[in-house]
Amino acid sequence: MAETLLAARLVSRRFGRVIALEPIDLELHSGEAVALVGPNGAGKSTLISILAGALKASQGRIAVTGSAKVGWLPQRPAHYGRLTAQENLVLFARLEQMAEPRQAAARMLERFSLPSDRLSAYLSIGNRQRLSLAIALLGDPNVLLLDEPTASLDPKQRALLWREAERHVAGGGAVLFSSQNPEEVERHATRVVALDSGRLVFGGSPEQYAVWEREP
Amino acid sequence: MKALRDAALLTRKDLLSLRRAPLVVILLALYPLLIAGLVGTVAGYANSRPRIAVVDLDHIPAETTVAGHTYHIKNLIDEVAKNVHISWMNKAQAAQALRTGEVVGVITIPRGFVADLKSITINPQVEFETSQGGISSRVTQQMQALIYNLNRKLQDAYLKDAIGYISIIRNGGTADFLGSNYKVLGIKEARSLLASEKNNPKAAEVVRFLDTAEGALRASEVSAHAVAQPIRLATATRSGRGWLLSAQMQAYALALTVSILALALGAAVTASERDENVACLLGRGLVSRFSLLAAKIALATIISIAVGGVILLAFGMIVEIGGISGGQPWQRIPLVLGGVTLFGAALGAIGTLIGALAREGRSATLGALLVALPIVLLGLIPREIAPPAGLISDIFPFSHGERFFSSALYDLHPWATVGPEALWLLGLLVAWGAVARLVQPRLTES
Repeated sequence: MAETLLAARLVSRRFGRVIALEPIDLELHSGEAVALVGPNGAGKSTLISILAGALKASQGRIAVTGSAKVGWLPQRPAHYGRLTAQENLVLFARLEQMAEPRQAAARMLERFSLPSDRLSAYLSIGNRQRLSLAIALLGDPNVLLLDEPTASLDPKQRALLWREAERHVAGGGAVLFSSQNPEEVERHATRVVALDSGRLVFGGSPEQYAVWEREP
Repeated sequence: MKALRDAALLTRKDLLSLRRAPLVVILLALYPLLIAGLVGTVAGYANSRPRIAVVDLDHIPAETTVAGHTYHIKNLIDEVAKNVHISWMNKAQAAQALRTGEVVGVITIPRGFVADLKSITINPQVEFETSQGGISSRVTQQMQALIYNLNRKLQDAYLKDAIGYISIIRNGGTADFLGSNYKVLGIKEARSLLASEKNNPKAAEVVRFLDTAEGALRASEVSAHAVAQPIRLATATRSGRGWLLSAQMQAYALALTVSILALALGAAVTASERDENVACLLGRGLVSRFSLLAAKIALATIISIAVGGVILLAFGMIVEIGGISGGQPWQRIPLVLGGVTLFGAALGAIGTLIGALAREGRSATLGALLVALPIVLLGLIPREIAPPAGLISDIFPFSHGERFFSSALYDLHPWATVGPEALWLLGLLVAWGAVARLVQPRLTES
């Protein structure tokens, strides 16, 4: 059985009186790509933010196995606009306490074909998203959380992103991605979790999800 | 150790970002300096010349003759009113101006004033009304000074007259008194008339009396001169710092500039972490909240020191180039910069708090400016005029910083002021830093 890398137990979140996420159990295992689906406002980003440790759960707890690390690509690009891609990567590598931050940054620049000398604010949306992904992967995480990662990417950049995600899964990591695109879910997910109005409404394989979705 | 290292990394990143936006730093430094100049000018004007209305119910003539001397009373009032701005008004205008605050006091010259003045035997009276408020006591003092100066001018003339009468009694001649002309024999002439009556004992007795009277009158003349001005005030104008380069102005300029700069910068760089969507990345354990807070406070402090240093240098150069006596106290600059460090840090903590509370960068900067101005203006209100303003001002760094800088720059023994103010600033840094730390989840969990 695949190793559980991350487990959420009865995790919920309220914003004042609004319940954004009702208590949910979710596990991410080594070698799987889980698609998180649901309409806008279903609670996908809230759940991913909680799993990433960026948002505190109102109740429940998150357990990360052993030395497992979590990388997170937020829905909106997250980096410093007045730094170049290289400076961003060096800074985050230093904050991750990597032994050789400059080399790590250089590797990422090459891997994601990013220009090193332009301020990030002036990069294309696609490049900015790739830079955010490079930052998410800097610490060599086991679990990769991708919040609608392809929403603003062209087909070529999407392909690059999914190649990275598949490489991660193949290396024994786990990927959880949220998506509104059924084709992406069908092609890249090994498991699907569906949310609606903050509630977990489905959990199963992509094939089961396809059937479930067609049901009235 | 990691926390400090992370704070240093983030501060370095912010400095690099600022270096790439030099216009922002220049504007952030120039804007408060401009405000400092304007506030200083207004404060200086308000300090020096309050507006006073004068109501002339007696219709004082252009020339008034008192005790044989001709006075231009209106000109005299304008001349002695050096510390107030005089506006001649009618009674209704003056009452309205006092109600609306256009003037802070009204002097009324009642009917019969000139007649009383001419009579010499009745002391004429002017009436003074002032509004209730913070500066009424200062205005009253200035009015007392004005009346004192007027009295002195008249007193000089009266005494000259009195001395003239004494001289006529001693030496003889003609004199005008209360509108009548008199021919006076004089003691000298009287004594010479009696000289032929040497053998007349009664005449000898009168001569002895005349000798005594002359001695007494001579003594009176001398003491009358002394009474005119028992203590003389010798006023000299020396080259020195004008108001614009005064210690107070320098301290205000420094405190005001650093206040707005550190607050706006602390707020803007904190909010920018959210704007760039990085705050949530950092907040998930990559850096501690302490590191994030410390980085923003450190940035506000470093820029405060840099801009504060430039201001001190600029003042110093103007003073040195202008050859102004006293010079710039260069040896005190490290002490002042020590104060700027604490001051900038305390304000940076408040700025960080605003940045964490604001939804985005522009709101944060606007919020910082909206908070900065009341803090500064509260600190400018003299404590003795409005004690509650002083108490509120105490919980913000401005007034402590201003007192620190002023004392550090020019007090002979600054430590009695600098020590307690430094402790205040340190306390405010810790207190506001703790509040900013409490609200940080709003920033990182967005």
